[in-house]
Amino acid sequence: MKRNEIAILSGKGGTGKTSLIASMIPYFDKLVLADCDVDAPDLHILLDEYNRTEQDFVGLQRPVVDYDRCVACKACVNHCKFQAIDESIKLILGKCEGCGVCQAVCPQGAVSMQDNVVGKIFVSQTEQGALVHARLIPGEETSGKLVAEVRKKAKTIAEAEDAEWILIDGSPGIACNVISSITGVSKVILVIEPTLSGLHDLKKVQTLVRGFHIPILLVLNKADLSTEGKAAIEEYCQEQGLEIALEIPFEPKMVEAIVNRKMPSVYHPAFFDQIGFKEFIEKVQA
Amino acid sequence: MKIAVLSGKGGTGKTTVATNLFATLEKGMLIDTDVEEPNSHLFLKPVILERIPVKKEYPVVDEELCTLCGKCGDFCRYNAILPAKKKVLVYPELCHDCGGCQLLCPTDAIRYYPRTIGNIYTGKTLSGRSVAYGDLLVGEVSGVPIIEQLREISGDEKIVLIDSPPGTACSTVAAVEGVDYAIIVAEPTPFGVSDMKLVVEMLGALQIPMGVVINKAGLGDREIYDYCQSERLEILAEIPFSKAYAKQYAQGGLLSETFPPFRETMELILDKVSKAGGRELL
Repeated sequence: MKRNEIAILSGKGGTGKTSLIASMIPYFDKLVLADCDVDAPDLHILLDEYNRTEQDFVGLQRPVVDYDRCVACKACVNHCKFQAIDESIKLILGKCEGCGVCQAVCPQGAVSMQDNVVGKIFVSQTEQGALVHARLIPGEETSGKLVAEVRKKAKTIAEAEDAEWILIDGSPGIACNVISSITGVSKVILVIEPTLSGLHDLKKVQTLVRGFHIPILLVLNKADLSTEGKAAIEEYCQEQGLEIALEIPFEPKMVEAIVNRKMPSVYHPAFFDQIGFKEFIEKVQA
Repeated sequence: MKIAVLSGKGGTGKTTVATNLFATLEKGMLIDTDVEEPNSHLFLKPVILERIPVKKEYPVVDEELCTLCGKCGDFCRYNAILPAKKKVLVYPELCHDCGGCQLLCPTDAIRYYPRTIGNIYTGKTLSGRSVAYGDLLVGEVSGVPIIEQLREISGDEKIVLIDSPPGTACSTVAAVEGVDYAIIVAEPTPFGVSDMKLVVEMLGALQIPMGVVINKAGLGDREIYDYCQSERLEILAEIPFSKAYAKQYAQGGLLSETFPPFRETMELILDKVSKAGGRELL
């Protein structure tokens, strides 16, 4: 069976990615969920998880110095471009990027590169399908790699369960974690707000997605917040040939659903009928 | 005093709080370190005086000298340099500029050259206050070098407000490391609390004093208040959810200039932060 991966992104944070993806879930028959927002994962909060298993995520290896062999020649100190080894040959973990140059230049063979756990990957079951999510230890820089691992795991499960769809909840921004969330997906849904910041951030993330030649569906959330803001977004979309596939007016019940830890479309179905959510899902699945 | 404004979850109001605190403070400098999606300049509207390209180096292979031995590719842990059948392929965006491939090349065929990964824009607001923001180019994988350079540029300033990136990964740490105080802007929702916990953990590990501003108060539930109490986190202020605020924000306006109660809230935050050790603020 052909598997379709759909990523939900936004550029700007807090525009409603997770609320949207949670609302979409009930409309998919067989799906696997991948929360790729690994330093702020929230999708699991709205789902009843069971059978959660976890495994360690090993990022880049880190050097370990054998001080019995070290003769303090400082070759490692001098060659490290990240100033991650101080004058007393102590590693400053936060600065190390795990390149391995210190190991390569040590004449004594005193440096070894060792696995370093920098996060956890969770797999759990929900009523709606399997959920893969993860957590990166704060400050770590391998979030792109962790996202790739989450997606790999989701794909393996989708194959085993013969699930047609994988929905990916992405992170804000445009850097490695976002790039890693969209490589090879069949569609990207961008959730935006009708604000000046929203438009500014849309331009960057849209350029990124276009670079990968992935079709884009736009969702304008809190659409009635600003008439001027909405007009500016519409004008930009027309210029760019972008389709606004769904408009969601501001609705306090959306927040109420989150507070009650419920999928918004289940909590308040009448509202979703009213805004044409079914038609939007058809566009997503087309 | 260096003060970071951060949030964990995106869209909670970091930029709103940072820019309005800056406008209320009437001294100091603001740097926007959310280099993937910088927004503070949309509200502060500085006149840009200088654009500083931020560079990183990457390897270029001299095909005449290269023997395709493959040592560079075996060494590189980022898959940024891959010896193929006829030539060595280099992926500059993946390169961390560690210098390993050059060190190991037996025929000295590798040289490093600079390339631009983004820009820093520095300028002044109408009232002559210094503002700088970074902008990562689309397709680049990490804004950390830009954030570090922004921190360097503002290093000599007495008072610096730092608009930080969302999340808790490397770019956030680069933005907040070594600051004197952190203001967490959080929403009173389950998502807000969940993401805020990660930020509190990160700031704790970095030993940075912190306080909380609850934004869009009244919209969610009480969990955040219980959490702050159990963690003994000071709530600096609450900003009520207001459609009028949201409208003004949508158009790029500074709330403190239009709404006196909002300005008073900013003054209250500054007052509390100054009591927490920032006498320079007064």
